[in-house]
Amino acid sequence: MALDVRVISPDRVVFEGEVSSLVAPAWDGRLGILSGHAPMVTLLGAGELNLDRPGGDSDSFYVAAGVLKVERDAVTVLTEYAGNEPPDELPPDAMVFAEDVIE
Amino acid sequence: MAGAREVKRRIKSVENTRQITRTMELVATSKLKRATDRVHAARPYADALQEIVGGLYSGEFSEKYPILRKPDHERRAAILLLTANRGLAGAFNANLIKHAKNLLEELRGKGVETELHVAGKKGIVYFRFRGEEMLTERMDIGDYPSIEDAESVVGPIRDSFEDGDIDAVYLVSSEFRSAMSTPPRTFELLPVNPDGEAASSDAYILSPSGDMILDRLLPAYIRNTVYTAMVENAAAEQGARRTAMKSATDNAGDMLEYLTRTYNRARQAQITQEIAEIVGGAARLE
Repeated sequence: MALDVRVISPDRVVFEGEVSSLVAPAWDGRLGILSGHAPMVTLLGAGELNLDRPGGDSDSFYVAAGVLKVERDAVTVLTEYAGNEPPDELPPDAMVFAEDVIE
Repeated sequence: MAGAREVKRRIKSVENTRQITRTMELVATSKLKRATDRVHAARPYADALQEIVGGLYSGEFSEKYPILRKPDHERRAAILLLTANRGLAGAFNANLIKHAKNLLEELRGKGVETELHVAGKKGIVYFRFRGEEMLTERMDIGDYPSIEDAESVVGPIRDSFEDGDIDAVYLVSSEFRSAMSTPPRTFELLPVNPDGEAASSDAYILSPSGDMILDRLLPAYIRNTVYTAMVENAAAEQGARRTAMKSATDNAGDMLEYLTRTYNRARQAQITQEIAEIVGGAARLE
């Protein structure tokens, strides 16, 4: 079983395809997703998004801020920034806001 | 009979005009291509964001979140109008302005206070001439607007909605159905009304929590809605300009045809007359 993954930034679809596993920078740390994951919506922080293709290839992008949604083996990653290099400047929403949660 | 020389001068002038309108048509066509690509590129994000926000949205949040609040009645509303910076695009700007003006009058008729925010030189110039006060006047947004442009325009408006200074925000812009069809429309930007089936949030693991996700996503949602509208508006502008310039070029062509015919007739008449004169003169001498 594979995951259908779409990585979308405001001005383009960065990646669309089948992936066997994915590791994303969630707001509270790195988050791994495999097929059969429970439905979930989580905020993203900033960092590298790794995608492992079924054939053994892998892709990775830098993403910053946004949200990730898993539903029935379909993963949608919405991010304010996506690129091969880390952004020069983090979008304001990409702040690591763990402090907010601890309060 | 109009002198052949005058007709010739008019032909020159119409030819020049046709050259200009044709160039503008070509420029608009290439800009339209790029602008349309941007419209299509922006859609997946907008749709996916809409779906997620719609899925998380539920009535109980609206009391907690200023950005979701639904005022009982409108006391004060903001209108955000997007127009082009440049003209020569047919009725494009005029339609948008008329639409905004009607909305403004309708709201005032209902006793709602209004405030006006305009991005685009044509709208600004019009309302300035009418003596309307505008809280935002932006002329710096180009043919290819960015997310940052959208944020800088809508950020302050969103803040004043959150503070409760205004109760509704209407966005007036052009819908980009196709290059030929770009009708103006009014979109209720705030209060947020994401129409997605409100999936029960129990079905999902929400991390950190539903309200915190919404807290981050709603500003992004508003910003992105305005961004999409700007991108569509920019494409609609190029579409309208291309259509207008195409018909101007065609009209110039028709006019040239007519003028050329008139010119030839005048020239022929002149020659005929000269021959008649010569023949007449020669007959006298015999």
